[in-house]
Amino acid sequence: MRDIVESALLSAKRAGASYVDVRILEREEEDISTKNGSVDALKRSRTKGFGVRVIANGAWGFSSSFRLTPDEAERVAAEAVEIAKASSKTKIDDVSLADIEIYQDRVPQKVLINPFEVPVKKKINILLESDKLMRIPGVIVRKGSMFFSREWKTFASSEGAYIEQERIVSGAGISAVATNGKEIQIRSYPSSFGGDYQRKGFELVEDAKFLENAERVANEAVALLSAKPCPSGRMDIILKGSQLALQVHESMGHPAELDRVLGEEASFAGTSFLTPEKLGNFRYGSDLVNITADATIPEALGGFAYDDEGVKAKRIYLVKNGIFVGYLNSRETAKKLKLQPMGAMRAQSWSFMPIIRMTSVNLEPGDKTLDELISGVEHGILMDTNKSWSIDQNRLNFQFGTEIGWEIKNGKIQDMVKNPTYTGITYEFWRSCDGIANKDFWHVWGVPNCGKGEPMQVMQVSHGVAPARFRNVQVGVLK
Amino acid sequence: MIGKEKALEILKKVISMSNAEQTEAVLSGGKSFVTAYANNYIHRNSGTEDYTLSVRVAFGKKVGAASVNDLSEESIEKVVKDAMLIAENQRENPDFVSFAKPEYVEINEEAGFSEDTANFGAMQRAEAVKKIIDAAKEKKLNATGTFEVEINELAVVNSLNVERYAKRTVASLKSVVLGENSSGYSKESAVNVKDISVERVLNESIGVAEKGKNPSAVEPGKYEVILTPYALAEFISHLGYLTLNARALKEGSSFLVGKFGQKLLGDNITMLDDGLSDETIPMPFDFEGVPKKKVIFFENGVAKGVVYDTLTAYKEGKESTGHALPQPSPFSPYPMNFIMEGGQSSVEEMISHVEKGLFVQRFWYTNPMDPRKAVITGMTRDGLFLIENGKITKPLQNMRFTESIITALNNTVELSETKKIIYDMVPMTVPYARIKDFTFTGKTEF
Repeated sequence: MRDIVESALLSAKRAGASYVDVRILEREEEDISTKNGSVDALKRSRTKGFGVRVIANGAWGFSSSFRLTPDEAERVAAEAVEIAKASSKTKIDDVSLADIEIYQDRVPQKVLINPFEVPVKKKINILLESDKLMRIPGVIVRKGSMFFSREWKTFASSEGAYIEQERIVSGAGISAVATNGKEIQIRSYPSSFGGDYQRKGFELVEDAKFLENAERVANEAVALLSAKPCPSGRMDIILKGSQLALQVHESMGHPAELDRVLGEEASFAGTSFLTPEKLGNFRYGSDLVNITADATIPEALGGFAYDDEGVKAKRIYLVKNGIFVGYLNSRETAKKLKLQPMGAMRAQSWSFMPIIRMTSVNLEPGDKTLDELISGVEHGILMDTNKSWSIDQNRLNFQFGTEIGWEIKNGKIQDMVKNPTYTGITYEFWRSCDGIANKDFWHVWGVPNCGKGEPMQVMQVSHGVAPARFRNVQVGVLK
Repeated sequence: MIGKEKALEILKKVISMSNAEQTEAVLSGGKSFVTAYANNYIHRNSGTEDYTLSVRVAFGKKVGAASVNDLSEESIEKVVKDAMLIAENQRENPDFVSFAKPEYVEINEEAGFSEDTANFGAMQRAEAVKKIIDAAKEKKLNATGTFEVEINELAVVNSLNVERYAKRTVASLKSVVLGENSSGYSKESAVNVKDISVERVLNESIGVAEKGKNPSAVEPGKYEVILTPYALAEFISHLGYLTLNARALKEGSSFLVGKFGQKLLGDNITMLDDGLSDETIPMPFDFEGVPKKKVIFFENGVAKGVVYDTLTAYKEGKESTGHALPQPSPFSPYPMNFIMEGGQSSVEEMISHVEKGLFVQRFWYTNPMDPRKAVITGMTRDGLFLIENGKITKPLQNMRFTESIITALNNTVELSETKKIIYDMVPMTVPYARIKDFTFTGKTEF
């Protein structure tokens, strides 16, 4: 790889670049999905290539190629400079990067069970055995999926960085769709849209205990068909794990991205209500709400050793005791606001420029048990597992639907309810948080499909959460 | 670019290396460039070249798949071995019958290709973007957006004698112009970059942002709406995976189950998919090499059909309609050239027919709340206006809608003659629509 790096750095410098970085990536993936008793898809894929990012004439340029040769590196680096010179036609100020510590490092990832050494037959067996357990009257679609990836990334820059890091990810989930001819209901485990994902080996699948949960998942999907509709009105809600993870993702993770705040994502992902004058003084949530961005959590999907600008992984507060105190940033955006780079720049693959992404954005645990949260509700709904989501481009008005809910009356769980939905304005919602479960209930949920950027990039991020209670929320929008 | 000769040579090599009963090899990829601008300057500008060689093999009903982007001899040999190993360890798929059988239909390999687009460089993209930025600056507005160019090749060869190659270009110019408390949107996409008018794009986006200054709020509720093609495409695009395909039908999640031949929508609703139409960005065949067939979903409101790939078609003894996505895919088959027929009205006439209602420039972040009933929620964005007594009277703050596509298409009372290609991964060609009783369920602060 050194020859490709050298060739790209030299070529870009020769063409007039004032800054150059090169990322080389090799990635292998395995996807397995089952549906209604048979294997729907089973695929292995491999990709490798490199990208060269430059600043020339004070503007950004990037080019990339799947041909991993020194000659191609020379051509691609020169093309990146040509693109940067085109960018400079509209330049207002020269791009300037905040200083960082420069590292040379090599970081392999340890897992207990290498997922690529587990026979495919064993993986299929787990999914099809789960499928069999979900085969009950009323269930029309039974799905299961597993995903494994392994990558080796090299980052080098004209400032002297040379970092190699490994990343191994496993993900798995099952779901059952039931119908009575009039409506359909779905239950998923451990989370919806493909399950849970972590930087772990095959131990993630073994720990998930699919066979112990499959029957329950199917039974709940069928039971939802005859459950009563979720009531409408203002009431208390308790959000469980994976739904709360998505709430953090949409209403705290995205608005804290400094590129959005500065308008750089305005044409697609949108902007943010967390504008710079609010930093350090805006009440985002109640005193109980502490939100961190922490790329150092072992095994968290949003974690890593270094980001794609060579910044070492960090843990910072975004919200402390309810006050908004930090952004997810890049070297360029940090410089603009005179902040320290915190290491949030990542690219989906070798063919993309890195952009600001969530790391592991977490709601820190509180001091309650789930029972204590429930016992404090006179009338409300306990909601679990995301089914639908939508939020405006400033990240204020949101609406979520969950797969399942349970009515709470006088501090006790009552009937199951179907089609729970809730809506609100971000800061009003977080200010209404008056209880968070303790660290025994805390889990870091992987979100493997966060979309952002132009060209669109899909990123793996994560959210550590424990169930939390919110007062006087608007529940129910579906008739 | 790889070119036809080399692409087919690689794919035939795959077929010759495989010992499976059936083998399919697909090469797709090419170059793409995105010039992104915000705050009145180009802030991100990237290019890439990449290909994917996908191999599927079948031993009886056991199907394995593998893909790679390294096209060296050694890598090709490995990907074929990987696919065979996976298939051998695979369970039988009772739905699998065969890879695509050859259809001896002449296709135009360059129907969707333009040399002008293929040769459109970084400096030309920057010059076009600069025109928008300069116009926005003059009005003290903030220009954001993208100029994207894709040059793609797709080749399919299988052991049943399917052999197809085509190349395609798509250029898209998008402008989102931001004011202090308003924004405006415009986008054009075409095979030939020369068919994109920078002036039209800047005039529409700047015009909407100017008209949208100082919006006021209205309460959520039911409103008559005029949806632009941007808003209509965003709203009804969910039909593609929820309803209009054989997979959703088989799984029972489509509202069309048991309803073909029934009149489900208004007389004025005709929707189809036609990959060969000059109203779309054409694609002569799908990712299994099956030539595109015209599929009518609704004709004057009557449910007629859905799209198929080989997996869903052959099992039922039908022909694939040529709508396979890259395989294997949980979203295949999928309508890749959706067209909704328009009416006879001009947009001005449509506005003049609204006593009190809303003009929606664009919807955003739409997602299904109830898939079977095709209930979608989302926000308005980049232009929302009040219509009173047949005239646009004032700009409004954004609102959230929650509405069923089926209900809305039943409440569609007027369609424009003008249609527009809305390109977001796949093209959709749709008109403006006037829809009664469209449900808004919330509002936001801007």
